Amino acid sequence: MLKYALKRLLSSLAVIFFVTLITFFVISVIPGDQAILALGLDATQESLDTLRSSLGLDRPFVVRYFEWLVDAIKLNFGYSAVYGESVVKLIASRLPVTFSLTVFSILIASIFSSLLGLIAALNKGKVSDGIIRTSVLVISSLPSFWVSLIALIVFCGKLNLFPVNGYIAPNESFFGFLRSITLASFILAFGELALMTRMFRSSLVRSLADDYMISCDVKGLKRSRALLHYAARSAIIAPITLIGNQAAKLFGGTVIVETVFSLPGIGRLLLVSVEQHDIALLEGVVLFITLMVVLMNFLTDMSVALADPLIRLSGGEAK
Amino acid sequence: MKKRNYSLYVGLFLISIIVLLFVLSFIYLPYSVDEMDIKNRFAPPNGEHLLGTDHFGRDIFSRILVSTRSALLVSVSSVLIGATFGLILGAIAALSPIAIETIIMRFVDALMAFPGILSAMMLSAVLGKGVINASIAISFFMVPVFARLSYSMILENRKKGYVKAARSYGASTVRLVVFHMLPDMFTRLITQLSASIGTAILTESSLSFLGLGIQPPGASLGLMLSEAKGYVLTKPYQALCPGIVLSIAVLGFCMLGDGINSYLQGDISYE
Repeated sequence: MLKYALKRLLSSLAVIFFVTLITFFVISVIPGDQAILALGLDATQESLDTLRSSLGLDRPFVVRYFEWLVDAIKLNFGYSAVYGESVVKLIASRLPVTFSLTVFSILIASIFSSLLGLIAALNKGKVSDGIIRTSVLVISSLPSFWVSLIALIVFCGKLNLFPVNGYIAPNESFFGFLRSITLASFILAFGELALMTRMFRSSLVRSLADDYMISCDVKGLKRSRALLHYAARSAIIAPITLIGNQAAKLFGGTVIVETVFSLPGIGRLLLVSVEQHDIALLEGVVLFITLMVVLMNFLTDMSVALADPLIRLSGGEAK
Repeated sequence: MKKRNYSLYVGLFLISIIVLLFVLSFIYLPYSVDEMDIKNRFAPPNGEHLLGTDHFGRDIFSRILVSTRSALLVSVSSVLIGATFGLILGAIAALSPIAIETIIMRFVDALMAFPGILSAMMLSAVLGKGVINASIAISFFMVPVFARLSYSMILENRKKGYVKAARSYGASTVRLVVFHMLPDMFTRLITQLSASIGTAILTESSLSFLGLGIQPPGASLGLMLSEAKGYVLTKPYQALCPGIVLSIAVLGFCMLGDGINSYLQGDISYE
């Protein structure tokens, strides 16, 4: 297990290295000369040179990258030009919204997809299986921003069940907080439904067909007990991996629902930084999200390894 | 299995609706995309305006027709470009010595760590807004998906008999990959391509919805929905049709991929 953990840790570190390299390269190098961007095309050579050396742009790429990396490791991403606050503080203040959105939507999606997957697996090949499979595919294909708009019209406009605009912090009113992110969480969860239901279904189908299910029947175990204690337990591994990976992806994918429902999360921060060309903020947010993804995937692999003796004991060779 | 392949037919049917709209946009356009009729804003569907008008009094039907152009052109071209780069990258990784293989695949993992439209948003921040940049951003987003596909397929197939046979009579590595392994990869490649086009349409419209893709007064389904957003509580109708067309397009390609998969593989994929 330790060997496997170390191996995964090393490869995660390698991925993080490339993530920082890509982020720095894309954001700081591709846009071209920042001095010309700042001063305009008809700036004198002298003023360009002064600005370049004051920004440190006259030094080689590798040096700039490592300086930036050291700063990033020290959690020093500089100050946002739009908000005038430190990037780390901004991200920390927006984190709760995005975090709770991600957690709620993964919970919702897991509950629904495991139930639907179970129903579909037990009725494999029948009409209800087909209906479930098709309807989750349809639900997940609907563009989230359109569903959000429709939800706004129906639930906020016509039925007046949820607040249209604005986010209520949990320390103000916990119920209000739940109300303000319910719709958004459901819509995010819908997008995950197809993939997760299919995964639950196929791994349940596989374990239901396994030999030990026959021995459960032979020794006269109740159907429900055989299902929960034997079939579901062995079928849970593939979905765990998927849930972990999708949670990580969701974390970076909240920008649309945050925009529609005016929730002040990381996604909004990202959009503002993109619109306003706030380079420091953009770098900070992009790096933060990608690191969370890598971390999440690492933790997922670890929990799968803990749940799956095949990986735990072989040091990951069996995978 | 003699089960009918509904996904394939429904997918083809949905895509043919979109292609029909696409073709129609070149043959017959009732109004120009930016022709405004301010007195006639928010008109409901009528004989003059088939699907009504938006907040500037522009004809919604004509704008949807033109939108299918950007949806199809941007998504298909960027998927093809991204797929080409990705497949080559994955193949190089699979055929290289272990050190280079590790470096390339960790790089691909790093690209994968930019979730959802994050990489597309990041690129459009540095490249600027607009159609071309949105396409570049979407193809960038497609590279790791296809790199992983060709990488895993080549690793799987390397040990198969026909590859050994081809190698034994002296086929070069490039020939081996292009003429022997590629046909074997075809099923999964087609499935992935179709699903990716669906994703690309979604990404393009998401970018436009966020104001980073196609710029006004151009027409894109995402942009139309973004404009409708401002009036959604008072004039909800405007948000309806572009969303339906967009859903048809995305769903069509998803179901087509699904259908092709089970058509070519039997029903194994579901087992």
